[in-house]
Amino acid sequence: MAAITPAEVRALAHLVDELDYYQLLEVSRGAPTSAVKRAYYAATRRLHPDANRGLAGPDRETLERVARRVSEAYQVLRDGRRRKAYDAQLDTGSGRRMQLAEADAQAEKQALEHHMGRTPNGRRFFNLARADLDRDDLAGAARNLRTALTFEPSNAYFKKKLEEVTAEQRAAAQRR
Amino acid sequence: MAEIAVGIDLGTSNSCVAVARGKKVEVLPNHYGEHVTASVVHFSKDGSVLVGNAARAALIHDPHNTIASAKRLIGRYSFSEEVKKARAVYSYEIVDGPGHSVRVKIREELFSLPEIAAMVLKEMKLVAEARLGRAVSQAVITVPAYFNDNQRQATKDAGRIAGLEVLRLLNEPTAAALAYGFGRGLTQRVAVYDLGGGTFDISILEIGQDVFEVLATCGDTYLGGDDFDDRVIDLLADEFVAKHGVNPRKDPFALEKLKFAAENAKRALSVDDETEIRIPEILRSPTGQLLTLERRLGTREFGTLVGDLVQRTFKVCDEALQQAGLVPRDLDGVILVGGPTRLPLIREAVAQYFGQPPKTDVDPDQVVAMGAAIHAATLVEGGTSDAFLLDVTPLSLRIGVTGGLAETVIERNTPVPIEQTRSFTTVQDLQEAVKIRVYQGESRKAAENELLGQFEFGGLEKRPRGQVKIDVTFSINSDGIVNVTARDRDTGRHASTTITLSSGLTTQELESIVAEQRTGRVKTQPAAGGAAAALAVLDDADVESILEADLEELGDVKAGEVTPLGDDLQVPIANAPPDESLFEEGELDLSADDTQGTSGA
Repeated sequence: MAAITPAEVRALAHLVDELDYYQLLEVSRGAPTSAVKRAYYAATRRLHPDANRGLAGPDRETLERVARRVSEAYQVLRDGRRRKAYDAQLDTGSGRRMQLAEADAQAEKQALEHHMGRTPNGRRFFNLARADLDRDDLAGAARNLRTALTFEPSNAYFKKKLEEVTAEQRAAAQRR
Repeated sequence: MAEIAVGIDLGTSNSCVAVARGKKVEVLPNHYGEHVTASVVHFSKDGSVLVGNAARAALIHDPHNTIASAKRLIGRYSFSEEVKKARAVYSYEIVDGPGHSVRVKIREELFSLPEIAAMVLKEMKLVAEARLGRAVSQAVITVPAYFNDNQRQATKDAGRIAGLEVLRLLNEPTAAALAYGFGRGLTQRVAVYDLGGGTFDISILEIGQDVFEVLATCGDTYLGGDDFDDRVIDLLADEFVAKHGVNPRKDPFALEKLKFAAENAKRALSVDDETEIRIPEILRSPTGQLLTLERRLGTREFGTLVGDLVQRTFKVCDEALQQAGLVPRDLDGVILVGGPTRLPLIREAVAQYFGQPPKTDVDPDQVVAMGAAIHAATLVEGGTSDAFLLDVTPLSLRIGVTGGLAETVIERNTPVPIEQTRSFTTVQDLQEAVKIRVYQGESRKAAENELLGQFEFGGLEKRPRGQVKIDVTFSINSDGIVNVTARDRDTGRHASTTITLSSGLTTQELESIVAEQRTGRVKTQPAAGGAAAALAVLDDADVESILEADLEELGDVKAGEVTPLGDDLQVPIANAPPDESLFEEGELDLSADDTQGTSGA
């Protein structure tokens, strides 16, 4: 395996902060996770400090820094939820790096919004629907979910819930 | 002649040394022709030190001067559970050393745990040198994946004392996977189920030809084959007490005989369905009669004795699979490591859990040393790297914050090398310094984690509380070394330290031991007090205060203020405005609740 030269390391060190995670791993924005993994393995074969035993002193520390960034990129891009949060950050132009804790927090937030609604009214009617379900009031739940969907027409989770409720309604009708 | 580096599996019960040359990996037998050497050290009356099976035999007639299972104590604080338990179980004397370290007292001489481990390592070095016919000075030593950094440092120190340059500490399951997949061009997902004498590890790896990527590692450093033996000992002792009214546990010689018999019974049950336990003249009855312990033990009864221990390993497997985002049927193979995995009851339980029989083409006692040898060969000067290990950090790294809590900076199972930054702030007005305490573990309560070290970051501008922003960056290098940097965001001033880990030996002690060894036999002096040289070295008072969980007044950095300045879009969820409907499902609130610690099993 071709090891990296000191000059390449230094060039890469300057570049690292200019590249986003996709550019760093040399994959496209839409690349599937398997391609991300392949790219990470390829980068590893070249940049892994173990593969570059000959490198010493400051160059070695620089290589370690690059290697840390590469594995950071992989940690974000290999996880669908983190990756989504990262994409959102890239789209708003607010930085090329993302701390894992932050990616997780953002992903969590997105998931919560996804599950519970991102508008106050969407959330309100979704919660009413859940209360209806607790009382086994399927008709009430369906009504409130439909209302919630008027506020958030694209909320897939609401749609899925509504489908489940209507399916249950049909099953109940058949039993009668 | 080119350097030659060996791989050493330093086990709780047995150790093994191997060497890799070209594509050939060879386990080096000791002068008795055994491929593994008992990790037992015996100090005989004439001052000589025995290691191996001869020392193991001495457990029976001279238990006070014979040390077994030292790995269970290495790198632990004297107040830890494991050490408390060891005091009850082992016949040798365990005493407190400086900085709450552990010492063993043998014939009025004190030894640190790294020194004891060094004696085993030195034996392995001698075994290798005898077989290879040349000096060996470099090694890769394996450790349980779930070892914390203090335990790792202690193992490294042991290597140094033994006269070895430790090229790398390698996680045991990773080593096993390397030995399994090396040079075979496999593309597989495997689980390594590693039940050793004193520890259990499970690692899930993805092998992509020459890349060995650890997806997740979980473990339990309080669970191993020794615990299986204990169950048998308890059964035998309890029955004996009921029958004869005398307790063999109370007599050190009888206890060692019991341990021996229990271990042999376990080994016998790896081959046979039933075994005969017989200990003649184990004790005298109250009337002075010599008593013999006799009993048959079958696989089935043994299974009921240890069933819950086996199930505990699968809880850990559940956790690892979940961390890797996989289910058992995603795996292409299961590799068994460690002597206890020879037990049919373990093999059957593993087969059932993973839905496939474990691989039988690896030797559970030797595979770890072989993996270490392969890695050692790739690390020596001029060595060719044809295997890349992408390991993870098995335990979360945390920072102590106000309220006795510890905030995660690097989550467990994050691939290394890695670097992560979190921001903290002051909790007192006009505060000029913060103490950065570094912990390792899975609990939100600081005191339930392992303290790795600490340093003070001073010279802050006097400001109202919460207005000074300090970025703390943890970085882990490919060789596992942890660096911590604190940076004042306003002034740009920063302080950086390599965490000086608490191996149980101070730097001075280690130096003096290494120096002394050139002239004579390993011997340690009780260290002079207050030897703390670097900021990050613990002193007694610090540990004391942690013990008392008195962090309220010490904890002077606070998390939850992670807002990057001038960037409103990135308010972390814990800081988000309290939206009742969002939090009604019991979202954790960083500042208020310290009862939701996700304490590791």
